[in-house]
Amino acid sequence: MTGFEHIQKTGRDAVLVVGGGVAGITASLDLADAGQSVHLVESSSYLGGQVSKLDKLYPTDHCAFCPLWTDVKKCMEHPLITVHTLSHVKELNKENGNYSAVILRGPHYIDEKKCIFCGRCEKECPAAAIHPDWEHLYPPSFVIDETLCTKCGNCTKICPSGAIDMDLKEEEISLPVSDVIWATGFKEANINHLKEYGSGTHPDIMTSMEFEEWTSEAGTNRGTIIKRSDGAIPANIAFIQCAGARDLRMIPSCSAVCCMHAFKQAEWVKRRDKRIDCSIFYTDLRTVGRDYYRYSLRDFEDANIKLVRGRPGLIHPLPSGNGIAVQFENTITQKREIRKFDIVILNGNIQPSLIQLRPAQPGSMAVPRTDKEGFVIEESGETSDFACGFGLEPADVADSVIQASAAAMRIMNKASDQR
Amino acid sequence: MANISVFLCKCFGEIDNTINFDFLREELSKDPSVVLISIVDSLCLETDIEKTVSQIRESNSDKVLIAACSTLSRGNLVIESLIKEGVERHKIGLVDIREGCAWIHGDNPEDASKKAKDLINMGIAALQHKDMSDDMSVTVHPNALIIGAGPAGLAAAMSLARTGFKVNLLERSKVPGGMLKLISRCYPDNDDASNKLGPYLREVENNPLITFYPQSKITSVEGDTGNFTVHFSFQEKDSFIQAGVIIVATGAKIFFPTGLYGYGEIKNVINQMEFERQSLNGSLETKKPVFIQCVGARNRERPYCSTICCPISLKNASRIAEDIPGASVFILHRGIMTPGNTLEKYYRDTLSSGVQFIRFEEEQPPRIIGSDYVEAVEVYDAITGITRKIETDLVVLSTPLVPNNDNVQLAEMLDIEVDRYGFFSEIYPMHPLETKTDGIFICGSARWPVSSDHSILQGKAAAMKAVSYLRQSKIAASTLSRVPGLKSGHARVVPESCTGCGNCVAACPFDACHIEKLEGRYISIVNMMKCKACGSCVSVCPNGTMQIPEHNYRMVGEMIKMAF
Repeated sequence: MTGFEHIQKTGRDAVLVVGGGVAGITASLDLADAGQSVHLVESSSYLGGQVSKLDKLYPTDHCAFCPLWTDVKKCMEHPLITVHTLSHVKELNKENGNYSAVILRGPHYIDEKKCIFCGRCEKECPAAAIHPDWEHLYPPSFVIDETLCTKCGNCTKICPSGAIDMDLKEEEISLPVSDVIWATGFKEANINHLKEYGSGTHPDIMTSMEFEEWTSEAGTNRGTIIKRSDGAIPANIAFIQCAGARDLRMIPSCSAVCCMHAFKQAEWVKRRDKRIDCSIFYTDLRTVGRDYYRYSLRDFEDANIKLVRGRPGLIHPLPSGNGIAVQFENTITQKREIRKFDIVILNGNIQPSLIQLRPAQPGSMAVPRTDKEGFVIEESGETSDFACGFGLEPADVADSVIQASAAAMRIMNKASDQR
Repeated sequence: MANISVFLCKCFGEIDNTINFDFLREELSKDPSVVLISIVDSLCLETDIEKTVSQIRESNSDKVLIAACSTLSRGNLVIESLIKEGVERHKIGLVDIREGCAWIHGDNPEDASKKAKDLINMGIAALQHKDMSDDMSVTVHPNALIIGAGPAGLAAAMSLARTGFKVNLLERSKVPGGMLKLISRCYPDNDDASNKLGPYLREVENNPLITFYPQSKITSVEGDTGNFTVHFSFQEKDSFIQAGVIIVATGAKIFFPTGLYGYGEIKNVINQMEFERQSLNGSLETKKPVFIQCVGARNRERPYCSTICCPISLKNASRIAEDIPGASVFILHRGIMTPGNTLEKYYRDTLSSGVQFIRFEEEQPPRIIGSDYVEAVEVYDAITGITRKIETDLVVLSTPLVPNNDNVQLAEMLDIEVDRYGFFSEIYPMHPLETKTDGIFICGSARWPVSSDHSILQGKAAAMKAVSYLRQSKIAASTLSRVPGLKSGHARVVPESCTGCGNCVAACPFDACHIEKLEGRYISIVNMMKCKACGSCVSVCPNGTMQIPEHNYRMVGEMIKMAF
């Protein structure tokens, strides 16, 4: 009897996958394709995770959208995958080698099965609490921001398809699970307290994920590069690498993805507007994947992107409010300089999302064992905790997906051993 | 001409607020092939679907056209609910008159109605002339062929065998283990390589599902996804295996930096592999080693970072710094490549073990002092701006992994791709182990230089991808798509009119077309298992012989006629 036959015959308990980013989606699809039933729990209202916010993917410069959309669609339609969005794992109990999970499924005020995406509710909402969900969601739907909603009921009245029900409550789902895969991904860390970066002091000092949203083709400005303060075209942009990362005060680890992310953003700034001058302030340029180094060469040779080795000692808005002063030492030329930039992008302040969850809500959420920095420590036994993606080890898309498939394989092997 | 029933969806007023349905009804009734025009409130409602289905059954229509929203909105769901009720997929057409018509032309209802009429007429024309692709399926051989018995191949073999599948493991050399057999310890856990390899070697020996073929070399590959026939020489005898999937784990080789820094001429200039060998057999004697990074890498000739050389130097340097009292260890580098959490920590640990790091720039590489024995290395420290002279008794050159010589040949046999350097490459980074031929996977350093741990991880991941193929008894060509149900058919040749010019062979990005001699003349043959229905062949076919039935010339022509 092969492993999957065993799974089908014994009706092995479902695998719980926590996190619906690329890693979680891949692990779920791999397991489901092998006959293992899966419950996929995602805290936001849509699958896709951080990749859904990315404009382009390095090193091919393809859109992130198509391959992600097809995988999301496959996941939503797979008979063996149950997707829980707006949900989290409340409890995870391990008894006699069996896991039982309690999933807290947030109210889906707008039923995506019924929503026809007409947008009448958005127009009618006095509190501006309704907005379209991630625009590549399949099928497209609106979502209600609970923090803004006043529960006036206007939307319920106007909805032609009866998709809105404001009386819905949170739902608790208990189920036995055999194993858990943590694919909880990363979150941006707030680095306002690292004063030298000036984070939060000026609208044109952004984190790289904010900049991505601000300039992406599907984002706020539909692919044009403008300043957040006054809407003018910036003359120059500084990308600050390792902001908060490789820094024992904050995130000791290297976030692995930011060097290439900065190259990609700088390249796309140049593609969209050649006049904008781009400088990347780096420590080491970690370009280890296929074509990554070539991508960086192309950037600073063909696209004329400037490289400065060194971390700025001070980033501060100019008193006029127009422009940001960056003080730095170029450690290759040993020259100290102060230069004015129109936009400063802080890159590197990403860390496993589990580290942010833990202290905030003790007891209300099940979390795996993690190390000091918030990375999951895998545990193998009768019931196993596996992990993949950024929550296990800083990883880009390709690495996350590999980790996910490998985690799925280990579960398959475990299932076979149990026969 | 087929009889067609047309269903116009009001979409709760979203469409009929703009588009004049009476006008549409009037216009459509002029078409003799339209036998039924029905207006429904919303096809998202179950009741309306039921009504629609019973109307279809009652009418004498052969095909159904739905005028509603786009497939990316809820259109596909409507089609699917009709299929569930027993309407055949190829008899359903969908026209988007909401997003692409009513919504964007809300300010001009009259023209919007005319456009809707044109769109629906195009939809009718499409339904009338749409054809269906042929399909084929192959019986899957429920066993895997793994090429290469290094860490990646071994991990894949062990994973698949433990899941219950037969594995054929081919290896060029006499014993399994690959490059791991040549090194002493692995980073970042500093575990002995033999410990790491042990469980896998035992599995190969003891698991009856794994057949190990040492000293073998692939000579040719035939067949398709699920049913590959691989011919190979095994201990100098010809042999063959039939396998459902193929996993390529052939690894990479070391670059020998002959001529660089006196390598090959000076005794105490060695590469990392020789360092490993010396530490394995205990002949390593050094107190003042200098490691030089990026030798032959990240330059014009090899513009890539080989990923593993920095951590290897960290491993070997820290080992000497910790084990040998009074050692002075230097790493000369161009940026230490330790991305992530584990490796960055490994780097910090090495820093605190006393190893000294000096950064140099590509333009000013270190200089060897001494002609037949290196006594010192001179290097311009880019950070301090000072030229330093470091006394040494051993210079260790970190060289990149380079692709195996026969990668291109193997790639041609397997119909997969190699990148510009010669490593096997995926077609899309989000599916990093999958190649352009379904059922063939790549992993380990054959794909891109990776550590042993990562090779093992990739081996397992590739095995997981293989499982989804191996567990099926039959694979149909129409299901070989990232999203089942969205593949739009396969290219089809009309043998009578094909001139055998071969344009399609050159244009096909998936090697699905080839020329064959049939009844005395050459014609093109399409392999449906490989065809992705991209249409490249259709666009280069000089006489319209190559067609995708779902989008054939006749159909597109008739649709264009309706539009203008």
